[in-house]
Amino acid sequence: MSAVTPDQLHDDHHHHAPGGLMRWITTTNHKDIGTMYLIFSFIMFLSGGVMALTIRAELFQPGLQIVQPEFFNQLTTMHGLVMVFGAIMPAFVGFANWMLPLMIGASDMAFARMNNWSFWLLPVAAILLIGSFFVPGGATAAGWTLYAPLSVQMGMGMDLTIFAVHIMGISSIMGAINIVVTILNMRAPGMTMMKMPLFCWTWLITAYLLIAVMPVLAGAVTMILTDRHFGTAFFNAAGGGDPVLYQHVFWFFGHPEVYIMILPAFGIVSQIIPTFARKPLFGYASMVYATASIAILSFVVWAHHMFTTGMPAATQLFFMYATMLIAVPTGVKVFNWVATMWRGSMTFETPMLWATGFIFVFTMGGFTGLICAIAPIDIQVQDTYYVVAHFHYVLVAGSLFALFAGAYYWLPKWTGHMYPEGIGKLHFWASIIFFNITFFPMHFLGLAGMPRRIPDYALQFADFNALASIGAFGFGLSQLIFIVAVVKCVRGGKKAAASPWEGAEGLEWTVPSPAPYHTFETPPVVK
Amino acid sequence: MAQAPRAGFWATLRAVLWSFVGIRKRRHYKDDATSLDPKAVIVAGVLAGVVFVLSIVAFVRFVVGV
Repeated sequence: MSAVTPDQLHDDHHHHAPGGLMRWITTTNHKDIGTMYLIFSFIMFLSGGVMALTIRAELFQPGLQIVQPEFFNQLTTMHGLVMVFGAIMPAFVGFANWMLPLMIGASDMAFARMNNWSFWLLPVAAILLIGSFFVPGGATAAGWTLYAPLSVQMGMGMDLTIFAVHIMGISSIMGAINIVVTILNMRAPGMTMMKMPLFCWTWLITAYLLIAVMPVLAGAVTMILTDRHFGTAFFNAAGGGDPVLYQHVFWFFGHPEVYIMILPAFGIVSQIIPTFARKPLFGYASMVYATASIAILSFVVWAHHMFTTGMPAATQLFFMYATMLIAVPTGVKVFNWVATMWRGSMTFETPMLWATGFIFVFTMGGFTGLICAIAPIDIQVQDTYYVVAHFHYVLVAGSLFALFAGAYYWLPKWTGHMYPEGIGKLHFWASIIFFNITFFPMHFLGLAGMPRRIPDYALQFADFNALASIGAFGFGLSQLIFIVAVVKCVRGGKKAAASPWEGAEGLEWTVPSPAPYHTFETPPVVK
Repeated sequence: MAQAPRAGFWATLRAVLWSFVGIRKRRHYKDDATSLDPKAVIVAGVLAGVVFVLSIVAFVRFVVGV
């Protein structure tokens, strides 16, 4: 089941790795590359966070105080793009790089050099994306969905974004291929598919989703590019095209993308809850089946993002029913996590706090998703702050909280030291409180009719906006606590045992902490 | 370890349909793990996906009275 390529054997005997900066540029080691992905995504998270705080500063009170409307639109657009493509997705790939080989007993990822390339494409894309703020006309302001005809009309910042999306797409596809091949071909003897930790399963399914939909996004933005510069009219009604076509193509990518950003989070949480409940995961098989089911269903629900775009009633009903059915396997997952905790010997170290916080807040985001799935309600709340609240509940409280849970859970394995527990807990409590102060009032704003993507608003929305802005700054500053926790953990602290968590199971806990540079050169045998 | 008998068409389809709900009994899942052919599961998954979409379409047509 496991495979060792000739160049890996070669490395074992003649290890002449360069030092300093060149180590990181030329590395093919999955742990180095995982670390770089995680650091990169955190930098992008802070960049996107600064954009969010600028948005919230502007929205602190009605009227225009801090930024011009044109720049405000650039900020909302770039905040979305940076967070989705720069922070959340690469962070999960970072976890995959670090943990998948350790979890399945492989010596490295299957395509080690391609792995290096997948990472190093990302800083290039990030420079294009962030650099677009400084070109004439500024960054794209078409919204992260890059809807035509706006995206056909923007300045050259739009072109830079299109190329950045292309490059990030190539990076994601290469990363996904690497993950699929690693999981299918490099498992240790005895590590059957149905013995794999759930994180491996969720990433395997996510990788297939990525391979299926990233080319669709690339196609959509390429059509925008040719519409802009090469005389085509895919999305230009004047030339016989149709702007609605763009929305269909985009959301055929966009909805599976939602699951790309949440399935690995489900995987992380499914590792952590059994550890701290000291019980095996309830319904492992159900979890695998539910993940596969969510992935399949994610391809037939895309037009629920477009209920107001205009479509026949029958089509609206189709997408409404299909979307509501997707709640069934998601509900199964939440049920299984709760059942795992039921009568377990639970302790609430920082990773468990984040994981239980995740279940609580993500479920709220899931429920508002169900509400948005109902076409007549969605037509009322479309493009209001209700939708902004909904997707931040699933993406911040879902993906981001799971990422923090995973970071605290595996930090001892990565660094060899325990993180400072008090600081970790402070980070969690500050985050979950400020998160809710920020985003809960947005439900009320949306129901009261406040549209999204506007720099100014009517007076009746002032109080909740001020509250949300205060919460946002609290949430943003709380993330600095994470830097303190990580830096302290890297620089020292209590030595971590190979398996620092009492209830943890899995191959990654059989290697010493910190995990040696090369692990499982001789594949372990799984009984 | 003795090779378990390959699952037939209906057994494969049953496993796939349970996956649509996301639930599986432990005993059945253990049988699945030894007897299912991955290629057959993919074919059954695509077929069940098509049937799933068509059944929603049929239901929608019933609701709107076409």
